[in-house]
Amino acid sequence: MTVDKGNKLARASLDNSSSSQLATDPKLDSGSQKRIGDQLRAMYDELMQQPVPDRFKDLLDQLDKKNGGKEGSQ
Amino acid sequence: MTPEPEPELREALLAAVPSLRAFAISLSGQVDRADDLVQDTLLRALSNLHRFEPGTNLNAWLFTILRNLFHSEYRKRRREVEDPDGSYAGRLKVQPEQGSHLDFEDFRSALAQLPADQREALLLVGASGFSYEEAANICECAVGTIKSRVNRARIRLASLLNVDDIEDLGPDSMTRAALQG
Repeated sequence: MTVDKGNKLARASLDNSSSSQLATDPKLDSGSQKRIGDQLRAMYDELMQQPVPDRFKDLLDQLDKKNGGKEGSQ
Repeated sequence: MTPEPEPELREALLAAVPSLRAFAISLSGQVDRADDLVQDTLLRALSNLHRFEPGTNLNAWLFTILRNLFHSEYRKRRREVEDPDGSYAGRLKVQPEQGSHLDFEDFRSALAQLPADQREALLLVGASGFSYEEAANICECAVGTIKSRVNRARIRLASLLNVDDIEDLGPDSMTRAALQG
């Protein structure tokens, strides 16, 4: 009955690494890794869904129009 | 001679803006600064279009530009401001609220406490959808370095957010253990 207790296990496995895991580079258990990843993506998705500020559309529109004359200095 | 942004390119640049912004905001922790970064990135991209190889990953190219701008600006600010610690984390510090719900503020402040190289590696691989190889190109380092940074970032976040501390999860830990077991 050494199973379960997901997170404790993960930490324990860092110490007595019977696996071939490199002791110098411990890995997070997959459950924690998933929770971190989910939170990261949730935060990121929220940012991605924000509307694009007009300044960027304006910027690209302007450059679109006046391009050709402007950057010819090289 | 001057490469002109074609309509498709304009659309492609515009389409890249949300992910560039998300990256910049997460990297810098400030929306205003992030938007300036994105704007500078677009301007630089447009004036360096001749360096972009058609058919390669436009997003990766743009992220590379943004990242370089961020770092050069960061270094500059560190010199200007008497702030040897570059206290990104300090500026971002939020009062820790002991709410039980998942709060992005907590996550953001934990993210802010990561070393910059770990933060950007995690953002590129874990959120922006780049492969380890692409992230390594963007950060101009070895693939193994990126992997190691991402790994260390996750471990640090887990400890900052108590994700790996079963004692702190309270009654819910039973459920979690059951679900995982």
